[in-house]
Amino acid sequence: MKAVELENVVKRFGNIVALRGITLTVEEGESIALLGPNGAGKTTVVKLIAGLLKPSRGTVRVFGEVPWKNYGVRKRIGVVSHNTFLYEDLTAYENLLFYCRLYDAEEGRIDELLEFFGLKGRKHDLVRGFSRGMKQRLSIARALLHDPPLLILDEPTTGLDIEGRRELLELLTEVGEEKTVIFTTHDVREVEGICGRVAIIKDGRVVYCGVVEEDLEELYMRAIYEGA
Amino acid sequence: MKALEVAKKDLRIEFRTKGTLNLMILFALVTSMMFSVSIPMSVAERVAPSLMWLVFLFVGMLGYGRAFLREAETGTLEGLKMAPISPVSVLVGKVLYNIVLMLLMEAIVLPIFVGLFDLSVSKPLLMLLSVTLGNVGFVVVVSSLSILVIKSKTREMLLPILIFPVVFPVITSTIVAIRMSISGDISGIVSPLSLICGFAILMFVVSCLTFEHAFTD
Repeated sequence: MKAVELENVVKRFGNIVALRGITLTVEEGESIALLGPNGAGKTTVVKLIAGLLKPSRGTVRVFGEVPWKNYGVRKRIGVVSHNTFLYEDLTAYENLLFYCRLYDAEEGRIDELLEFFGLKGRKHDLVRGFSRGMKQRLSIARALLHDPPLLILDEPTTGLDIEGRRELLELLTEVGEEKTVIFTTHDVREVEGICGRVAIIKDGRVVYCGVVEEDLEELYMRAIYEGA
Repeated sequence: MKALEVAKKDLRIEFRTKGTLNLMILFALVTSMMFSVSIPMSVAERVAPSLMWLVFLFVGMLGYGRAFLREAETGTLEGLKMAPISPVSVLVGKVLYNIVLMLLMEAIVLPIFVGLFDLSVSKPLLMLLSVTLGNVGFVVVVSSLSILVIKSKTREMLLPILIFPVVFPVITSTIVAIRMSISGDISGIVSPLSLICGFAILMFVVSCLTFEHAFTD
């Protein structure tokens, strides 16, 4: 079954055309990386999949449902972004409890996830006092509360130092097993080991989509600068 | 039920930070005091209903819009938009949160205002009802319209411009109802109170029908 289907999707913001007819499918259980330079349209694609945006033209389906219309299908999607979606004036536990209730998830998952992400000791501390790395780990816990089969990772390592980035990628690789993963980044080195297939986006179009059998960095440069 | 979770979350943050409530109460007290020292007592009874509503209007404009603006500023609005919760539930949650703020503010400001102007209110319960109903209508309008301006750089200026024409019927009806309850001549009070209630219900229905378009995308 297809987890995600984008068919000839066009997205306009006023006079700006962010996506110019993107067609992409992601099979259930597959991991795909959306690569591209800043402003290529990667985040717009994930926002359409997450139901945050409506396409101007074309169709977006997640597990056969239209995500911006069907609120129920959002229970099957987890999003980790550079924006953590956390409330700074709530504690780690309160943040997770709030999202837990929004997603009708089991409250027992909270302690389990806090333990897994090494945040149990900071359970009752305000998120305001957390480091960037801790916030990002809590954000992953938030995204996994409802155990979604589709995990969207939208440049999750932004703002982290090298060690934090490595730790986070290891965690994401671990939690992404047995899930459909869509990972967007402009750093091709982050993709290795996480995704089996890549789609390279440039100026709102997919310029390459397939399994990588050669040097990814070389392929990326060729796709971006030569369009093939 | 999810609307309640949104309201509970906002109240928990507000009671912890007290950012909006303190600002609203302080602003209401300062303006009430300024009005009371600058208006002669001989005309106080005549102008008090308008001034009282003016205080609530300014304070409401300052505070009620914050419910959505704060979410937009901190980036948590996207988290709400992606959650399996209908936009109407989010709106209801924000309205409930603002109503709690409003009731708290009323409980503090109203007795002080009445005391500062030395008003002898003939029908205090009716006055309380008039102010509360008027404020509920106002809260519904501000809560639903504030989502429209969150992307604007001039949102603080844009919000009052959008709100004033819409809440005008509530303002005039509430002032009439407050004046009647102060004077004790309540023979025609049903008419302004019905108008306030009708307006609040109408605005709530219109907001529910249109909010999804403003909230999504």
